[in-house]
Amino acid sequence: MTRRPDLATLAAVRILPVRHHSPRVSQVVRAELDRIDPDVVLVEGPSDAGDLLSVLVDDDTRPPVAILGYRTDGPSQSVVWPFASYSPEYVALRWAHEHGVRAELIDLDIGTALAIAEEDHDAEDPDTGTDTDTDTDTGSEADTGSEADTGSEAEAEAEAEADTDTDTDTDTDTDTDTGSEAEADPAAAASADDDFDSLDDAIASSAHMASFDEVWDAWLESPSHAAADLNRALLAYAGLLAARGRRSHRTRHRDAVMARHILATVAAGTPPSRIVVIVGAAHAAAFLAGDVDLDLADDLPAPLPCARTLIPYSFPRLSEQLGYGAGNRAPRYYQRAHDAGCDFERASLETLIELGETLRLRGFAVSLADTIEAWRLAVTLAGMRGKPAPGLDEARQAAIATMGRGEAGPIDAALAPAAVGRAIGRVASRLGQGPLQAEFWREVRARRLPERDDPEDLTLSMVDDVQVDTSVFLHRLRLADVPYATFRGAGRDRGAARGRGDDDAGGLDALSRVREGWTAQWTPATDVALVEKVVLGDGLEEVASRLLLDRLAAARGTGEAADVLLEAVVAGCPAVVARALAACDAAAAHDDDLPSLARACAALSALTSYGTSRAHTGGDAAIATLCVTTFERAVLRLPGAAAVDDAGAAAVKTALRALHEVALAQPRVAGHGRDAWLAAARDTADAFDVHPEIAGLAAGLLYLAQALDDAAVATAVSLRLSPAIDPAAGAAYLAGFLEVNALVVVKSRPVVAALDAYLATLDGETFPDVLPVLRRAFAALGATERRYLLENVIAVRGLGAQAGAAAAVVAATDRAAVEALAGDLAGALDDLDDLL
Amino acid sequence: MAEIRPPAEVRYADELAAVAGADTAARPPGWKLSPRAVETYVMGSEAPVGGVAITPKYVGDRGLVQVAIATLASDRALMLIGEPGTAKSWLAEHLAAAISGTSALVVQGTAGTSEEHVKYSWNYAMLLADGPSERALVPSPVLRAMREGQCVRFEEVTRTTSEIQDSLISLLSEKQIAIPELGVQVAAQRGFNLIATANTRDRGVNEMSSALKRRFNFVTVPVVADLEQELAIVTRREAELRGDYQVGMAPPAELARVLVTMFQELRAGVTKDGKTKVKAPTSTLSTAEAISVLFQSGILAHGFGTGAVGAGELARTLVGALAKDGPDDLVVLREYAETVARTRPGTWKQLHAAVRDATGGKKRKTDEP
Ligand SMILES: Nc1ncnc2c1ncn2[C@@H]1O[C@H](COP(=O)(O)OP(=O)(O)OP(=O)(O)O)[C@@H](O)[C@H]1O
Ligand SMILES: [Mg+2]
Repeated sequence: MTRRPDLATLAAVRILPVRHHSPRVSQVVRAELDRIDPDVVLVEGPSDAGDLLSVLVDDDTRPPVAILGYRTDGPSQSVVWPFASYSPEYVALRWAHEHGVRAELIDLDIGTALAIAEEDHDAEDPDTGTDTDTDTDTGSEADTGSEADTGSEAEAEAEAEADTDTDTDTDTDTDTDTGSEAEADPAAAASADDDFDSLDDAIASSAHMASFDEVWDAWLESPSHAAADLNRALLAYAGLLAARGRRSHRTRHRDAVMARHILATVAAGTPPSRIVVIVGAAHAAAFLAGDVDLDLADDLPAPLPCARTLIPYSFPRLSEQLGYGAGNRAPRYYQRAHDAGCDFERASLETLIELGETLRLRGFAVSLADTIEAWRLAVTLAGMRGKPAPGLDEARQAAIATMGRGEAGPIDAALAPAAVGRAIGRVASRLGQGPLQAEFWREVRARRLPERDDPEDLTLSMVDDVQVDTSVFLHRLRLADVPYATFRGAGRDRGAARGRGDDDAGGLDALSRVREGWTAQWTPATDVALVEKVVLGDGLEEVASRLLLDRLAAARGTGEAADVLLEAVVAGCPAVVARALAACDAAAAHDDDLPSLARACAALSALTSYGTSRAHTGGDAAIATLCVTTFERAVLRLPGAAAVDDAGAAAVKTALRALHEVALAQPRVAGHGRDAWLAAARDTADAFDVHPEIAGLAAGLLYLAQALDDAAVATAVSLRLSPAIDPAAGAAYLAGFLEVNALVVVKSRPVVAALDAYLATLDGETFPDVLPVLRRAFAALGATERRYLLENVIAVRGLGAQAGAAAAVVAATDRAAVEALAGDLAGALDDLDDLL
Repeated sequence: MAEIRPPAEVRYADELAAVAGADTAARPPGWKLSPRAVETYVMGSEAPVGGVAITPKYVGDRGLVQVAIATLASDRALMLIGEPGTAKSWLAEHLAAAISGTSALVVQGTAGTSEEHVKYSWNYAMLLADGPSERALVPSPVLRAMREGQCVRFEEVTRTTSEIQDSLISLLSEKQIAIPELGVQVAAQRGFNLIATANTRDRGVNEMSSALKRRFNFVTVPVVADLEQELAIVTRREAELRGDYQVGMAPPAELARVLVTMFQELRAGVTKDGKTKVKAPTSTLSTAEAISVLFQSGILAHGFGTGAVGAGELARTLVGALAKDGPDDLVVLREYAETVARTRPGTWKQLHAAVRDATGGKKRKTDEP
């Protein structure tokens, strides 16, 4: 290749290849900067974030922190560039600051990085929205979607330093091929990623080491190197990757962008020898080889509208940026080494000592002698492996053999805090936080909520006003899609109800809850979301309201509007409450959908009782009125709605139950409304043109409410189950009937007699047809119900003679039932306890 | 006539000599090889050493072997723990052979292991005739190891009584054995150490006193989870056994694969594709068991069969191996054959039929009244 003259200039600049997050490279970079004492320091990083540099290097800023770039045109999408204090880029920027030397960031601007992230994302899965995480070629972490990078983001930047990008995502699919399949297809179409992994794996296995991380630590991090040697090693690794075709298109674009910036600096008068460039080894290799196509810089997508800030970052998240080789797997370990002047031996020893202390605190019998023995063993192991000193792997293995008595589990658990750490960074206050961040941190501190990147459980009592406010705060965050707290359940016992999703957090249940369990954990994604959401409002209430109003606008029917209403109450958004009430009112007038009306009715009834503000209770006249009118409309829709097919029956049954409950329990509805409901339910129960399961359910509800007596039910049941009727319909009726309250039903002798008579009429041909439905109907019966049913059947059939034997069977099952009951009772008493 | 199963140091004498010849690194006092050379001997080497191919003895995690070797070079004794049949004894034997040149010093731990097995006993005829003397002393393997500065193996140490375990504590901390009858103390020469093995299926490890635990570094020898790796172990070891005993026939590769796949699936309780749950048997389906089943299938074919090892021989051997712990495991085998083997092609299908034959015809319908 003939070099163009400007590319020769490029090679004349002082290029320092780096690997992100490497203490050893940082050490060499600082020494080189001292030696060269340049006029300008150019660093890989988003070129339009220059205004943040002075805050980044401020004494009050404590890494880990990250530059966050986010879109301001609607979609929630952002990119972060994290820095540890041992990151060479950070060290170089600090050096420049300390020496009064000009420093600039020279990589793609944030808007373009976001545009590329979006393009890549669209190319990956054109069907889905912007909700999945993507990996980009921006030399940073990109994430699309508001879940942000809570940790699922296995950064696929596979390279010596972030730049040899892999374009596909890093699904950690583990192949579960059976042996025979694997043999049939040995090559298994290795993708480019596999190819990269296999290079690292090959290096690791030829070095007889367990992982590439270990190789990197042993060869590059722990030994001290002359700058020239380290640079050569980094470039050689970059060369290996490049030879494997690992330099993507995007990386070359970035080469071009950075090269232009460098050349412009030269053109503006700084001699090449006075310029130091800090870039990933892959870029450095390209610059030195003159292998740059400057024109590519014009071939980039148009930048997206965006803004930027600095956010705190955390060690746990830093450790999740996989694919850098080492450097990230154990941030605290590297921090220790960095703080000790790149003394990795000392870092290993400190880690072991802390590990022993942690284990002792956790109740393991670990003596100081064990720690000393572990260290000795680690030293011998290092010797066997040709390492100058024990690294993290030796420390871990020695700890397992000594302190762990052969078990890895407890050691790994205790090693995480010592090696990965939990530190979170701090951004100098003079940057000024965004209003949402400020509100979040103010509330979190005032309410003493968890601030760490480590899950913590908390339980809020809904009889304490302060804690109700905390609940409102957490619900607002939930509605605003700010990842911080997850609803754990309303119970007291931890873990049991764990894993209840956000779906259960709000809604009708939330109004009557006595307490709420949450698991809270701050992660950088929390701040990412708080920064991004600023486009929606300046306060959490405003953001939550805005999003709820969007939902309200999209709501179809009264039911969905009522859902928004409930959320608005739970999250304390009065403006939305008013709008949602109006929407319910408007929708109810021409809502023909019974389930929707009934759902709204249940919500309104609850709000009539509990009020629309969570801080105080008490009715609300407007809501009560709306509740009554919605109820009336729903009752009117009942006859038409009950004639549905099997698929529609479930929703109508739910509606019936909801209306029944409101009719009986809501004082505002009582009287006239109650009578209207009972009449409508009776019509439904008697009708033959409705779904039989619904008719059965209506009859069951009426019977339960004592609006139907035994005789009436017996008549209805025998009518429904008479031979003239399709047996499947009869069985469906029965199922609906038993669904209400099987116990009450099976206790009634006349009803059981009618049932028994029906069963006796079934012949061998029809029986198989109705069997599945019958099975379903009776399967729901518990031990106690079965017992009554059996007793009544015995009585009805006059089987007195055999009754003795049956009673024995019954007694045995009963005991189990009583025991089960005792459990429920205890739970109920617990709840009561809490209320008093 | 040659021994059927010579000890490792005899059998692999040429490999040990070659490794020693090429070993320039420092040797811990009393060791025949440097730690690195011991590692090479145990793990094998890709390139021949001194013209001799070094075969892998233990197949698995190198780090684990390194920790074991590093431990033996230290003050603490080595405890190899793990499920049955994971090569604990095998590894111990090779470590002793490589480090001390002999794997012959071994104490078998049982409930009946007495102080005499651990320290010394007397030749009573001589004792009565001449009184206590060096000649009348019968040293235990431990005592001999101390005198010679060698490694002694202690198998199934957790099966011994707590008294024996207590005497191990003082023995391991003082590194000497007193013989009051002779008025002497035998102090361990450098190079002495102890390799214990313990089975995690026995309750013992947890019940060991913490004082004794502190005398050991623990290395867990895992069950091989990787199919190809376990297959390699099984075929290699089966071939070696066949060579040693000069009996049996070579099984087809596919048969070994079917066997190991089946063992792994039964252990995991689910098929490799994650789609079918299978019931796990109570018997231990260790790698060692797989080796022995495969080897015995070959013997069966050799002695009684068609002259080729196939699904039939495998099924009959499996039935024999699984019937040990009662009839329940046969049901497990049968169920596996019906639900898994039957749905797969080739050898699998044959195995299904063979298991059905070997377990007695058509499956009885259990859910019929
Ligand atoms: N990973 C392995 N590498 C090499 N051989 C193995 C491996 N796993 C099992 N084997 C073979 O299986 C057999 C294991 O038997 P061994 O007696 O050593 O097991 P063990 O762990 O001591 O079992 P136990 O607890 O029942 O005493 C040996 O023949 C050995 O060669
Ligand atoms: Mg053994």
